[in-house]
Amino acid sequence: MENNYKKLTEEIRGFAFELLKDGKVDRVIGYGKEEYSGEVTPLFITAPDESNRLIFNSECSMLLAKYLLNYRESRVAIVAKPCDTRAIASYLAENLLKRENLVIIGINGCPGITGNTACIECTVRNPVIFDFTAGEAIDKAELSPRVANELEEMTAAERLAYFQEEFSRCIRCYACREACYVCYCEECFTDSNQPFWVGGSVKLKDNFTFHLMRSMHMAGRCINCGACEMACPEGIDVRALPAKLTRVARELYNYEAGMDPEQKTLLTDYDVNDPQPGFLD
Amino acid sequence: MIKVANSEELEQLLNRLSQDYKIAAPVVKRKGRKERIEYEYIDSPGEITLERQPDSSPKKFFLPQNERMEVEVAGAPGTEDKQKTILFGVRSCDLEALKVLDDVFLDDNYIDAYYQQHRENIIIIGLSCSEGKPSCFCGTLGIDPVKNDSAPIFLYQRGDRYYFKVYDEEYAYLLEDLPEGDEGELAEIVEERAASFAENNFTLDLPVPLPEETTFSAPFWGDLAEKCLGCGVCTYYCPTCYCFGFFWEQGEKSRCWDSCMFASFTKHASGHNPRRSQDQRYRQRVMHKYSYHPENYGRLACTGCGRCLDNCPVNLDIRSVLKTVESYLQEKGGVKSG
Repeated sequence: MENNYKKLTEEIRGFAFELLKDGKVDRVIGYGKEEYSGEVTPLFITAPDESNRLIFNSECSMLLAKYLLNYRESRVAIVAKPCDTRAIASYLAENLLKRENLVIIGINGCPGITGNTACIECTVRNPVIFDFTAGEAIDKAELSPRVANELEEMTAAERLAYFQEEFSRCIRCYACREACYVCYCEECFTDSNQPFWVGGSVKLKDNFTFHLMRSMHMAGRCINCGACEMACPEGIDVRALPAKLTRVARELYNYEAGMDPEQKTLLTDYDVNDPQPGFLD
Repeated sequence: MIKVANSEELEQLLNRLSQDYKIAAPVVKRKGRKERIEYEYIDSPGEITLERQPDSSPKKFFLPQNERMEVEVAGAPGTEDKQKTILFGVRSCDLEALKVLDDVFLDDNYIDAYYQQHRENIIIIGLSCSEGKPSCFCGTLGIDPVKNDSAPIFLYQRGDRYYFKVYDEEYAYLLEDLPEGDEGELAEIVEERAASFAENNFTLDLPVPLPEETTFSAPFWGDLAEKCLGCGVCTYYCPTCYCFGFFWEQGEKSRCWDSCMFASFTKHASGHNPRRSQDQRYRQRVMHKYSYHPENYGRLACTGCGRCLDNCPVNLDIRSVLKTVESYLQEKGGVKSG
């Protein structure tokens, strides 16, 4: 069933209005439009009358789930794309949020976001956790996620050249980090000077260190939502490395992050029979 | 003085100049899935595009993102690059931004030798805008996108005709091959363009500098900056943001761009952070541009180039922020800046 944005928007506005009117939440986090540019932007509303400022369309790229970390102690409703619901499920699994404080308005049958290459790899399309849903759910049997294999087919030298070219453009603005739901550390390794992990220059070696270390922190946690790539102003393929780790976790351990709030995290769930390729062999 | 050329003559001119100068100009660059226009050193004039405002400012030529500090003594920059650069096609917003950088780095009290060296090594040829993009608001801030006399030479392009207005005769030798042009024709272009820019749907009535105490302690900052992610995009794309940090590596010291949007920017060695939250950091950025810099140097530190909102991952629009400040100050009863 095709969802249209007008209908999704109307349904979202209806839920937001009722929730605020009945005092069930203090705040609704959703998408709106900037007044002058008309661009889609995160919108935070606290009064029922503001509900008609909420919208949903294919430009709603920002991963709103990350804002929940700013409101851990208040009651919040959030407009959540399926990837947002996975991020929320992960946060709940990591005990970062209280479920009772959250009202999740999930987007059913998410049509994908313009320009986000992660959407073609999406295995979910419906919210994994929700209180209300807008739109019609998609039958999972109809899904045919496609994984980009171009990088896998390259030789190691070609891949190195590819990432050298990509990371050479990095200006170290950390938009990828700030947009990523996983990157909530109080102090990022990039900001630490004791120990000193990575220099602040945009030399290739520092850029590589940043992206490789960030990617390693994503193992078993990246939900392949593409927020990093969408945030990057330099059009860098920031997602490639974390997405690879996501695939490895799936292939080796049949693990996908953020599918269930009760789920254990990959790195805290050890089984003696777990495959250990590369370890002491 | 006016000099004129067609595109063939312009190409010849740039080819000749490239024997004595390095030439940097806006070029199209493929960046992954994005096609961008950036200022780069060029090999041939054919690479140049004057089509629209470049996505990044030419700030990096004056304040490189990494700069090695050869000798850690004030006033002693490193190996001098003797070959001068001609920076071609710089628009009003970026020319005005250089004045802001000059305020800071060529301050009477302290002249930054590194910046000064870049400034002296670069000859700028300005460029008149023929049309704005939706995020541009230089006109609102009193900057004229059509003409600007702060570059020694300023270029107007119309079709296949290139008119060079020479403001500083000292640099007229660069264009000596070209025939002189007609002032009247140029005046016509200026008038035409001024008319096309006259319609401005974004107006501001702000006291400049913004009154520090009233604006600083206003209640709206938390709401305005609620969506700010705290990345450095706005500051790195900003033509006037100049903050930097130092890094040492095996005895080599360098300075690299830094950003007041980063939580670590103001973090003290003790662990205390005077700007604890993102709204305080965002407020700092707006206050610096609209209150502190004008207070210290008599000039806004924003030129309305619109790059902060073009590149912001959450589309935070500084125009909406300024409008909120405006209506708050008006409500407060016409607070005038001291």
